[in-house]
Amino acid sequence: MSSEPIERRVSYIGDTLRACRCSICGQEYFDARDYCGNCGRKSFGKMQNINLFYDKGKLEFCTLVNEPTNKFRKLGSYIYGIISFHDGKIRVPGRLTDQIIKEDELVDFSDLEGREVIPRFRRRYSVSATEVIPTISLAFTLADEYYPHQEYKIVPSSKEYDTPGIVGYGVYTSRFRIKENRIERAVPFIDEDSVTAAVEAGKMALIHSAIDSSLVGKVYVGSESNPYAVKPIASKVAQVLRLGKEEEDMQAVDAIDTEFACKAASSMFKDAASLVNYYDSEIKYAMVIGSDNSQAAPKGCPGGELDDFVGFGGSAYIFGKTDLIAKIEGWYSITSDTPDFWRRDGQPFPLHGGRFTGDPAYFKHVKKATEKLMEKCNLKPIDIDYFITHQPNPRFPVKVAAQLGFKEDQYSISLQVNKFGNTYSGCSPIGLAAVLDIAKPEDLIIVTSYGSGAGSDSYLLRTTSQIREKRERQKINIKSQTENQFIKFVDYTTYRRLKLGM
Amino acid sequence: MQNNPAIVAVGRTKFGEHYGKKPEQLIEEAWLTASNECSLERKNLEACYLSDCFLPITNKLGLEEGFLSELTQLHVPMEVTSSVSAALLAACNAIKAGVYNTVLVGGIEKMTDRWDKIRDDLMLLEDPWSYYAGGTPEANHELMLRAYIKKHNVSGDDLDKLNLALAKISVKNHAQALKNKFAQFHRRITIEHVLSARKNARKLLGLYDFAPISDGASALILTNASLANRFTDQPIYVLGESSATDFITFPSRRDLTGFSATRIAMKKALKMAEIPLIDIGIAEVYDQSTVMELISIEDLGFCEAGTAWRNIRGTCDNYEGYYEVNGTKLFVNTNGGLKADGNPIGATGGAQIFEVVKQLKNQAGDRQVMIDNNIPKFGCVQELEGFGTKAYITILGGEIIEQ
Repeated sequence: MSSEPIERRVSYIGDTLRACRCSICGQEYFDARDYCGNCGRKSFGKMQNINLFYDKGKLEFCTLVNEPTNKFRKLGSYIYGIISFHDGKIRVPGRLTDQIIKEDELVDFSDLEGREVIPRFRRRYSVSATEVIPTISLAFTLADEYYPHQEYKIVPSSKEYDTPGIVGYGVYTSRFRIKENRIERAVPFIDEDSVTAAVEAGKMALIHSAIDSSLVGKVYVGSESNPYAVKPIASKVAQVLRLGKEEEDMQAVDAIDTEFACKAASSMFKDAASLVNYYDSEIKYAMVIGSDNSQAAPKGCPGGELDDFVGFGGSAYIFGKTDLIAKIEGWYSITSDTPDFWRRDGQPFPLHGGRFTGDPAYFKHVKKATEKLMEKCNLKPIDIDYFITHQPNPRFPVKVAAQLGFKEDQYSISLQVNKFGNTYSGCSPIGLAAVLDIAKPEDLIIVTSYGSGAGSDSYLLRTTSQIREKRERQKINIKSQTENQFIKFVDYTTYRRLKLGM
Repeated sequence: MQNNPAIVAVGRTKFGEHYGKKPEQLIEEAWLTASNECSLERKNLEACYLSDCFLPITNKLGLEEGFLSELTQLHVPMEVTSSVSAALLAACNAIKAGVYNTVLVGGIEKMTDRWDKIRDDLMLLEDPWSYYAGGTPEANHELMLRAYIKKHNVSGDDLDKLNLALAKISVKNHAQALKNKFAQFHRRITIEHVLSARKNARKLLGLYDFAPISDGASALILTNASLANRFTDQPIYVLGESSATDFITFPSRRDLTGFSATRIAMKKALKMAEIPLIDIGIAEVYDQSTVMELISIEDLGFCEAGTAWRNIRGTCDNYEGYYEVNGTKLFVNTNGGLKADGNPIGATGGAQIFEVVKQLKNQAGDRQVMIDNNIPKFGCVQELEGFGTKAYITILGGEIIEQ
């Protein structure tokens, strides 16, 4: 679509599936409209907005599209059909995503018809590299496969804390993986990128936090693979997740993208926590998302060494002072101008400083930040229950943890690089999520991120008594995403194709 | 009824690909055929009602009226609609109102000029939300068929028979087109062609179930009945015409198993024509797919919902040119239908009307149908815009019904 106003309108409705209900007769409509066709003029001002983005639908009828229109060509063959919501009150068109259909594969449509599906926020179709990337949530996955449906239910907060901390979190990765040398890495489907992963992770964090999205006053999105050089991911997240109060077709929220290689998101944890802790802050909650479709040149090309480890995924954390699962008890940051890894503007793939990415970069910064934090808080490694750090490959985190004096049972649970690959900005937050998924109340956690360029932020977290009860709200955790029978493994060629996107 | 609209001449081009011709040349050709037939001069025209669905997109032509004015050196009022039936409806209203006595109704489309992008355009215009979700022009037909099968509980043996009936529609239309010199396809196909295309497509419908992309033009000359005899011995009267509209988003419609717009428009058109349905012996229906022919026969009221495939199957085994419905013969798409005659969208309706007019005048040559040794008295044309978003019904007859 070359028309920005049309793109804006389609996206505004389609990204979050804005529908409406007539409060007089109950008739529902997709898309949003100002009056009810049944009730006419008297219905003006009586239409309630509804949002199908968190709902589940039913695939009524479907067929195979194996000769897509031009803009959908890169998807290959896919299932397309009619999806109903609310017992058939609303029907929308939609395609099933996250499916690779082989050229001679026979699809049993009747096996799919009648099954529950969930809207997914994805790229809509291909456009030229200079155009705005169209998105839509008329893409669906089967609810009985990789992603089960989770209700977004707002629960009034029951407990206030003096110290700010984590209210909830979510980790989003794709169902596709590539397995090489015993390492599994998450591979985006062709309609996914760092923007779609950021939105999906944010959605999951809202579901886990059970807070009203309109109370989120700020959203930070850290990424180093934003498909745009100029255009924030955060504005998309704010609009799709309807963060902050709605003012006409805008959101009363501050949204900002941050960049500092792999610590772009984790660096903002303290900013988010500080913001909600400001003495007359009107911001009750702040969301921090780290999302990357980690880039690497193909193997054999300069920078291709990274292609053994790059992953895909996003993680979102909501900070506040109510119903915390973990309090932030301290932090320590360290920065130096160390050029260990970089990507020049306009270049598709990053390069790195080879042997200089280790000792003078990763190890130096991670160690210093962690040691200084422990020193500041009067803690020794033995006092800490879990240690998490950035995982650019399986070797570095283990080595730095040992150098810092941590034992295997303190850090092993956090090692997710073997499962998802290095998810760049999402990486140490995903490690933290793996720990929070299983931590007991009153556990002490240190998470130290690392961003090339270079810097580290080390945080001390203490879990609360609420961590266990709130865990029930999140079915899609790290375990379910690593041990999932619906994971699809792809070969290297497919991986590179999917990675390129639509 | 002196202001009853009457068709005094019809003309058309061959449908197919007209690589070297400009759109205006196509309409000129169709108009010349029609005007020759009734010896009418350009200067007799008081207005032109044109239709094209796509020219601004396919040929970057806006203000098609101006092109036609330049070509004909005419300065009469001209209006553009999206289908010939829509143009005809507007022209009929003007004639009935006594505004004009003699008008040209015509349609042009030149889809092959934008061959590589036409499916995107079609789908985007036809059903934008479905397009954004990944739908194709063909997908809606397949979904409608699946909805039809489910609603009418067609399964097992019956399902095979239904699928076969649909294949026979395609075979029948290709056979009919062999007798139509204007048709896009002059190629006999067999059931096996249809079935193997479906197998390749791995779904219910395949290549041979769908109408093609075409170029072409059609034209007709409409006068009021009192003038008609000056131009022809055999005017064909527009006895009833009506249209109805449905939601643009196919999935949002209340009924996914047919076209409500057709049903509504047909009821109104029959009422206007004041003839019973059973008197209609020939129907040109809008078969963008074999499913559409099947479903349209039901929507028009010739068969009960969910039953047309039985009639089709029953009579297609030894096909003699008609379907047997309600104990009578119904001739459907004798020109080969959109499937084989071609489907240049903005001109298609003109070819449908052309066929019925020729049949009612006993001028259809090899295709001429006879009902109990008589030429048919009444015929109807169903034209759709979009995927059933608009339906136009035109009922034609060789004589005016005296009230």
